[in-house]
Amino acid sequence: MTAAQQGDALALDQLLGELAPYVHRLCKRVAPEVADDATQEALLAVFRGLPSLQAPEAIITWVRAISVRKAVRLARRAGREATAQPPTEPRAPSLEGLVDIGDALGRLPPAQRAVLVLRTCEGLSEHEIAATLGISAGTVKSRLHRARAAFRKVWDS
Amino acid sequence: MNDPAEQAGIDPIHRLTILAAALPGAAVRQRRIAAPFEAVWRVIADLEHSTPRYEPGVTRVQLTHRQGQRLHVIVTHSDGHEEPATATLRPGWCLMQSATAVVAFAAIPAGRQTLLAHLEHRRGPAPAPGHSRSRQRRAALTKIEQELRTIERLVTQT
Repeated sequence: MTAAQQGDALALDQLLGELAPYVHRLCKRVAPEVADDATQEALLAVFRGLPSLQAPEAIITWVRAISVRKAVRLARRAGREATAQPPTEPRAPSLEGLVDIGDALGRLPPAQRAVLVLRTCEGLSEHEIAATLGISAGTVKSRLHRARAAFRKVWDS
Repeated sequence: MNDPAEQAGIDPIHRLTILAAALPGAAVRQRRIAAPFEAVWRVIADLEHSTPRYEPGVTRVQLTHRQGQRLHVIVTHSDGHEEPATATLRPGWCLMQSATAVVAFAAIPAGRQTLLAHLEHRRGPAPAPGHSRSRQRRAALTKIEQELRTIERLVTQT
């Protein structure tokens, strides 16, 4: 990290190889329709800010915040705040149900998807989610409540 | 394609743009070369023979050690001084760094043509903002644009 922050291009290149899969995984969960664009924009923001990152030991926390915020912003810009239309053909259920979980998650608005992903996939507390998204803990609580209710409704339908 | 970043949707051109974001003052330009990817990359990847033909400040590049994607070279400049450099080289991605400079190429196929991007970055303290810095930047951009044109000539004439 120190070498990367000091402009060592080979260290930066290695860091990019390590961060890109994590950023893409997050962006794909929060904003599947714009995951690639969100990944590129998030990594650009990360690398632009890298030289002035004060606490390199907290890089994952910082990268996560940038990635999720970018993903939510891009998804909103793509006009997908409203719940997506359900597919006309029923999907064949997978053995592990992974496709169904992704489908159910994908039908939530990006803001709700983000809090649910951070809680269930990243294991963050409500306060950590609030810090990641730059919102109040109260807003996190109510979004989580709505997200879980919406997810259950889609899942059971 | 087994590079983790490419699997995450970051192609070499994107990779170069992201890398440049962390190198203040880096000059980046890209050019569409009227030749297939394999032909373009054959020229770029041949560091020893190609570099002196398009890089005016370099008279020789000598490969001293290679292990997988990692290469070690000695670069001889036109003023005679020699400088070691380390490079990462794989299809579509070439990143070379010495104590004084970073040079990179990224390429992706574009139909029967190739999109080729080139980065150069002078290492060390950045010049203070002002007329001198913007003049240096313009000179760097002009230089790499000329190098891209030369590379296109090398590719299309072989």
